[in-house]
Amino acid sequence: MTFFNKVLPNGLTILVEEMEHVESVSYEFSVPGGFIADGEERLGQAVLLADVLCKGAGQYDSRQLSNEFDQYGIRHGEGCGLDRFTLAGSAVGANYKKGLELTSSMIRAPQIPEDDIGALKSILLQDLASLRDNPARRAMVELTKRFHPAPFNRTSLGSQEGIEKTDRQQLAILHSRYFRPQGSIVSVAGNVKAQEVFDVVEELFEGWDGEAPSPVGYGLEPREEYYHIDDDSAQLQIVMANRSVPFGAPLYYEGKLVASLLGSSMFGRLFMEVREKRGLCYSVYARHGSRKEYGTITAYVGTTADRAQESLDVMLGEFRRLRGSIEEFELERARTNLKASLIMGEEAPSSRASSNASDWWLLSRVRPLVEIHDAIDRVSLESIESFLEQYPFTPCSILTLGSKRLDVDGDVVAMEVKK
Amino acid sequence: MTQEFKTETLGNGLKIIAEVNPANVTSTIGFFVKTGARDEQSEESGISHFLEHMMFKGTATRSALDINMHLGALGAHANAFTSEENTVYYSAVIPEKFSEMQELLSDMLRPSLDPKEFDTEKKVILEEIALYQDRPHFYLIEQASRDYFGSNPLGNSVLGTVDSVSAISREQMLGYFNRRYAPSNITLVATGKVCWDSFFEKAQELCGDWADHSVDREYISHTNPTVSRTFFKPKLVQGHAYLLSSGPSAQDKDRYPMAILSTILGEVAGSSLYWDLVHTGLAESASVDVDERDGSGCMGVYVCCPQDRLDQVIGVARKVVSTPTAFSENDLERAKAKVMSRVVMDGELPMGRLMSLGMEWTYRKTSTPLQAKLERIKMVSKKDIERAVERFPLQDWSEYRLVSG
Repeated sequence: MTFFNKVLPNGLTILVEEMEHVESVSYEFSVPGGFIADGEERLGQAVLLADVLCKGAGQYDSRQLSNEFDQYGIRHGEGCGLDRFTLAGSAVGANYKKGLELTSSMIRAPQIPEDDIGALKSILLQDLASLRDNPARRAMVELTKRFHPAPFNRTSLGSQEGIEKTDRQQLAILHSRYFRPQGSIVSVAGNVKAQEVFDVVEELFEGWDGEAPSPVGYGLEPREEYYHIDDDSAQLQIVMANRSVPFGAPLYYEGKLVASLLGSSMFGRLFMEVREKRGLCYSVYARHGSRKEYGTITAYVGTTADRAQESLDVMLGEFRRLRGSIEEFELERARTNLKASLIMGEEAPSSRASSNASDWWLLSRVRPLVEIHDAIDRVSLESIESFLEQYPFTPCSILTLGSKRLDVDGDVVAMEVKK
Repeated sequence: MTQEFKTETLGNGLKIIAEVNPANVTSTIGFFVKTGARDEQSEESGISHFLEHMMFKGTATRSALDINMHLGALGAHANAFTSEENTVYYSAVIPEKFSEMQELLSDMLRPSLDPKEFDTEKKVILEEIALYQDRPHFYLIEQASRDYFGSNPLGNSVLGTVDSVSAISREQMLGYFNRRYAPSNITLVATGKVCWDSFFEKAQELCGDWADHSVDREYISHTNPTVSRTFFKPKLVQGHAYLLSSGPSAQDKDRYPMAILSTILGEVAGSSLYWDLVHTGLAESASVDVDERDGSGCMGVYVCCPQDRLDQVIGVARKVVSTPTAFSENDLERAKAKVMSRVVMDGELPMGRLMSLGMEWTYRKTSTPLQAKLERIKMVSKKDIERAVERFPLQDWSEYRLVSG
């Protein structure tokens, strides 16, 4: 990996990975903010801000800005996550410079046109309302809402009240508070030279200064509860969550590997037991997600109502069976898959730009591939057991959405049943 | 980048293609079988897709568990998909594991169709059918295609129905496999960091004894109908509409102009539909796509919006596509820049090249280098599009709606 970084005097961090075997270049800006920046009564405001950035910036109105991106064949997208805004793009060859230029305008001088805000609100309200048409997404959103304490339980949907209340002035205030260089990162990867990127970015962001407010703290309150939502969908959705290890903390790779050997799509125990042996579902998985403050294991299975109880029982059985049952060959397979995914991810400039930005965001450095490989190799059956002792998969929070409520095992889940 | 293109045909008709690029860090391999829902008899509805699942469920020498464990040990990203006219099995691996992956995937293409696994997998398919019933967009597209193509097999459902899949027997599947999976109906493709000599030698060794026979596909001409139908789903929040009209086939000389036109009219962002419907907040999404098939094709317009606005949104969409050539030279140049950029970016990864090469050979028995493809896009003029629109005028649409009820 040919990696370079530089911090500008105003605090903006530039990351560059030179990749000679490709023709394209990808970039991703991370700016502090995100859903957690919304006031409790204005949920959806940050998402609205991310969406309005492409509606005109600097000298360009909405259509001109879009035309400029298109003329240079730049694919771009602006989004909002839990704790940051992201503005990403990909282009062929030197066109990436135009992408950086247009994106710098969106960051520094968005027009936030009054006339377009109503239309954007309408789209967000449609997205919010149509959650009812998508049972799998709705189940995960409802569990997130209940499992994490506020404000970490928010999603990109916002709230109807929050979206309706937001006006241009509030968006402008939110922008001026958060779109600051201190803590912001621009990550570039592809067929570029680092010095050239440094020079371009330095020129584009000269005179930009300030620091975004510090993010709010997080106190984890694991909840082991069962919730059911009635719905007449064809399948019953079962989603589960439990706490896990934070990003980069001791036992982090143990958490990733346990999630992989349990729930990776084709080789995991859940896939083997629920789908392959019993044919109970089409989709089943477990995933490990982590941030600076906390980690989460989530699991999912979608199945028709008359097979849902058996599916849940098998899933919980697998969670319970984990401790003391993992064998070396399973661990080795999980190691191989995690390493292969890393190597495959290395190939695409967009995934490199994004992964470097995430590393820097969470650790203030980029982990070299060899460091990750070594850490994966160091995971042993003993350290896996230490992880499971600290982060047992049961009891866990469970949410079902569908035509019938399921029985949850009293030993496994605290029986506070909520509607 | 030093790329080398290689091709050979085995004695039994299996076509072998590779695009070797030593600069890549991965290798990919795929079997492209020219078979899908359109090649099914009415009592076989869903069998192509069901068989695709069964390829992972055991061979003469491997159990389903063996296959799964082996894929895991290889660290392979392996998967498969079935469409109306293709079934594709593919994988990406690190180069050191390529030969082993080739051996495993070639073995998988000779499935044992174990009866116990067959029964279990059938339940998985029934769950997959239920899963897609909960996705309104997919539900509408499937219902619309079935109605639009009528009795023509082009409208056959990939998943099939609960009844049709439930009724499929192992013997039927074996019959379908023997009928459709002849080597001359299959293309084996590899891309990325691959050694051609070893790939070709191994293909001879592993697939050279597959017995060949001729495989036919029925081509029934289709007349574009102009009907309006409404489908219902209980408690639906958003309304959906899908409009269909005739379009270029995968072999049509006008497929490049029509692809550029669909970008101008209905790309997800920056297109005419985007500005009139999404930018204004009228619709949550709006797009135009070209569905190029083997010997046939259609153009589709999709919109999703609040149900009480469906009439208005469809009206705007119809108006936009009714004047398809009302675009400027600048609009055309921008659309071409977008398409060329996409082709380069998709093509710089081995998996992107694998899909492009496999599909192109399956449909057109040719292989276009990336540079030549870019030249063809660059050459498209407004006149080319106007000429194409004379053949595919985008005036007579069948209109399908999905609303609550």
